[in-house]
Amino acid sequence: MESLFLQQVLNGLIVGSVYCLIAIGLTMIFGVMRISNFAHGDFSMLGAYFAIYFVLFLSGWAGWVGSLVVAAVGVGLIGFFVERFLFRPLLTRWTDIDIIMLSIGLFILLENGARLFFGATPEMIPDPFQSKTINFLLFSTSEIRLICLLFSCIAIFLLQLFLTKTKTGVAIRATSQNRNAAALMGINISFIYSLTFVVGSALAGLGGVLYGTIFAVFPMMGAMPTLKAFAVTILGGMGNIRGAVFGGFILGVAETLGGNYVSMQYKNAIGFVIVILVLLVIPQGLFGGREKKWG
Amino acid sequence: MNRKPLKSLFIILGILIVLALPLIIRDRYFQHLLVLSGIFILLTSSWNLLAGYSGLLNLGHAAFFGIGGYSSALLALKLNLSPWVGLPLGGAIASLFGILLGIPSFRLSGPYLAITTIGFCEILRLVAMNWVSLTRGSLGLYGIPPLTPLNFSTNFSIKFVSEQNAYYVILIFVSLTLILLNRLVHSEFGIGLKSIREDELGSQSIGIDTSRYKLTVFMISAFLAGFAGSFYAHYVRLISPEMMGLSETFNILTMVMVGGLGTLFGPVVGAILLTFLSEGLRFLEDFVKIDIRFVIYGGLLMATILFMRNGIVGLFKEVAKPKESNGR
Amino acid sequence: MKTSVLFKGCLLVVLCFMVLSYGTRVKAAEPPIPIGILGPFTGSLAFNAEEMKKGMMLAVDEINAKGGLWGRKVELIFGDTEAKPDKGVAVVKKLITRDKVLVVGGGYASSVNIATSEVCQNEKTPIVVAIAISPTITSRGFDYVFRTSPNSPQFLAGVNDWLEKVKKPKTVAFLMENTDYGRDGEKIWLALSKKIGAQELAHLYFEIGDTDFTTQISKLRELKPEVTFNIASTTEAALIQKQAKELNFVTQWIGVGGQFTEAYFKMAGTTCQYAMGSSLEPTLAMKNPIVADFVKRYEAKYQKARPGIFSSQGYDNIMVIMDAIKRAEKLTGDLPADRNRIRDALTKTSIELTQGKIEFDKTGQVYTVTPSPVQVQLVDGKPQLFIIYPPARAGATYQVPLPWDKR
Repeated sequence: MESLFLQQVLNGLIVGSVYCLIAIGLTMIFGVMRISNFAHGDFSMLGAYFAIYFVLFLSGWAGWVGSLVVAAVGVGLIGFFVERFLFRPLLTRWTDIDIIMLSIGLFILLENGARLFFGATPEMIPDPFQSKTINFLLFSTSEIRLICLLFSCIAIFLLQLFLTKTKTGVAIRATSQNRNAAALMGINISFIYSLTFVVGSALAGLGGVLYGTIFAVFPMMGAMPTLKAFAVTILGGMGNIRGAVFGGFILGVAETLGGNYVSMQYKNAIGFVIVILVLLVIPQGLFGGREKKWG
Repeated sequence: MNRKPLKSLFIILGILIVLALPLIIRDRYFQHLLVLSGIFILLTSSWNLLAGYSGLLNLGHAAFFGIGGYSSALLALKLNLSPWVGLPLGGAIASLFGILLGIPSFRLSGPYLAITTIGFCEILRLVAMNWVSLTRGSLGLYGIPPLTPLNFSTNFSIKFVSEQNAYYVILIFVSLTLILLNRLVHSEFGIGLKSIREDELGSQSIGIDTSRYKLTVFMISAFLAGFAGSFYAHYVRLISPEMMGLSETFNILTMVMVGGLGTLFGPVVGAILLTFLSEGLRFLEDFVKIDIRFVIYGGLLMATILFMRNGIVGLFKEVAKPKESNGR
Repeated sequence: MKTSVLFKGCLLVVLCFMVLSYGTRVKAAEPPIPIGILGPFTGSLAFNAEEMKKGMMLAVDEINAKGGLWGRKVELIFGDTEAKPDKGVAVVKKLITRDKVLVVGGGYASSVNIATSEVCQNEKTPIVVAIAISPTITSRGFDYVFRTSPNSPQFLAGVNDWLEKVKKPKTVAFLMENTDYGRDGEKIWLALSKKIGAQELAHLYFEIGDTDFTTQISKLRELKPEVTFNIASTTEAALIQKQAKELNFVTQWIGVGGQFTEAYFKMAGTTCQYAMGSSLEPTLAMKNPIVADFVKRYEAKYQKARPGIFSSQGYDNIMVIMDAIKRAEKLTGDLPADRNRIRDALTKTSIELTQGKIEFDKTGQVYTVTPSPVQVQLVDGKPQLFIIYPPARAGATYQVPLPWDKR
């Protein structure tokens, strides 16, 4: 005897955990640098493709775990260069609109470049468990999905530790709150910028591998996660990491429950509806503070 | 000044060329590209009104295009309404939706407004996809009637199925739009918009009702985009939910940025250039054997933002500017 | 004053560019015989479109190796529809007006081809559609539209016969692609369900490009339908099978059959065991000498790659077109007249190809091809298709799907 409701909740938590990872990266980058990166989901896509190629060398368990590492490092590296040479020059010169435009240009470039390079046919990241299922009393899921959920939670936990217990982590949060004060306290803003972008992108890359494992990998897979990540970030308050975690799980479950009980076809719209409603009432998001000013 | 008669000659020559273009180059596909450029000029100019002149980042612009197209198509298919009436009516219905987007813009800006507009567009696209009884879903509406012929006498009537005739119709609308936009931009309203773009708080402090301005500009912009959508529906005679996708808006956006944001002719240049560039790049495909058009689009957009912020028109302006003296 | 100089300058630059970029494309009268081919060459259906292309190129390369038609080489000009109606319309218009093709072939997606065939009808250019099965394509009285593939009622006739006479399910559910391909099939099976008195438990949908079906499958699992009709293309169909296993859902999956491609079996692995559909797979009909010969030549040309349903349909499609051009005799260069002559030749088509005999009825629909119901069964742990009905043609007997833990 199975419970459809609990099954959908579990499904939602699994998807939501992936949203969390991607959204955390996005919100960190926005919080520290005020960059709204519309190409963020494409970093996930690149991470997924890193995994696809890596498992050709190393299969099974080692391959899957290894691909996570490779994706994180690879995408982090790409993120470093993107930040340094594309976004950084703009930060002082232009307005919000320009940064968004640039990221849109990057998005178009990456998505279509990937299409050219990797081909448009969807591919799968091989499941080291071979789709073995675990049956709990009231619901079931595949073992790999459970592992993905576990992994996301661990990653989130480790990130929290990093941000609260390490000096660099605290420096990141300080810069996010008030850049000028942070600079006055001797924090190397340039280093923080790079680090934040690298970590944020790496998280997106990890999310991409998980997403690709659970679903499929194809060049256009970055678009939806980008939008959903934005929805989650706005829900949680831009710059607020705890908000992004809550928001990610909330969105995941809202989508599966909404899809199940309300309408399957409009499942993808749920995120947007929530965002619009939230913004109309609480413009700074559920957990956001007052609009931060740049000193 | 001996420049004046030369300048007038250029203007007259230019107008003559534009008028005679489809008669000189009779290739149907070329004419089709001209018509498409015209439609895009309406779209880019209307988007530019929001983003360029008012600083309102609307990433859901394709929604207005789709609403105009679907409205006019449905009215023609189900109620036998004349497409000529459908054109402004489609624009008007899109305008109503413009109000829906205008309201959030009172309080939201930057990425928040951007995501709201994207959400709005995606929701409407999903509606078009799934309300199958009304829109036929992903099949789209086909068999849309073209603009009804103008009958002058029993023997003489002008039909609007051919690319050539469609070109002249869109030429009229584009000219009207540009003239009207020019007056709008230089009017008090236009200056108000620009001041909102530069400093919203400051504008409010000098008594500009920013909400009313934003609402109005959204309505105007939506009307134009909806009008373009209606024209498209009766020209291509097919409309589908894809027209309301994110990449359509990104297309428009790239055209404006490359042409020159915040200028009157930037959108025009961008629309024409990228429409033809898209075709011109196809021959590259024969050499390279792959479709690199959109990769180039993306690269072009990025290069524009980084190196040529004010677009092509901006470049021209810099070149044409007399060398300024160094004193202030 | 400055603005108008600016405007003129801009206009001049733009005009020059227009002419330059466009002029490089306009060529003098081409000696080759141009045939336009539509297909979703990018996107999630790209792999199958490539299969179709390979089948076509097999035919074209063979003809051209023998000197082409009247000494002129046949040239296929491919137009990418991206499986979207608006792109399809734009690209077919281009093929007709700019590339000046004599005939349009190929096809694939129903939604796209309903629109493109209308354009061809308006432009008086014959179009021979392959693969797309929506009945609408040939039921609008368009005399320039032909189709070398069965339409959906014809395609599903075999499976429906079996459902009615053998399986007789008590409960059914629908999980459909939200396109004409999906919805047309849904209508047919709905009528069948009512006819055999089966109870409909659910109507669920998804989009092309979706990768997450857990919500739909979870719901289906709760309802426990005996038969689940699932119209989906390769990728989605494979993912659905995988996710059904992950969620421990068992049912008799019945699809159209177009999803049973190599890519599908690679993606789904053994999870697609017991899935059923209707099929024109060439490799199931090797007893037919024409088919065996086609498979041999295909494997020779493409290094051991096995031809699938899209390759054989592409091959037949082009063969029919080239046969009609041949029967239309010399081409005069007067495009409208040539196109009309080819159209007339098409109506008289009667040729034996890999699908069987191809002849068109009054509406331009082929009526001589009969697909058979097939089921995926495991042989040495590898999934393979077997015809399971009628007994005279069957290669194996039907197997009822077992629960996952017993497989």
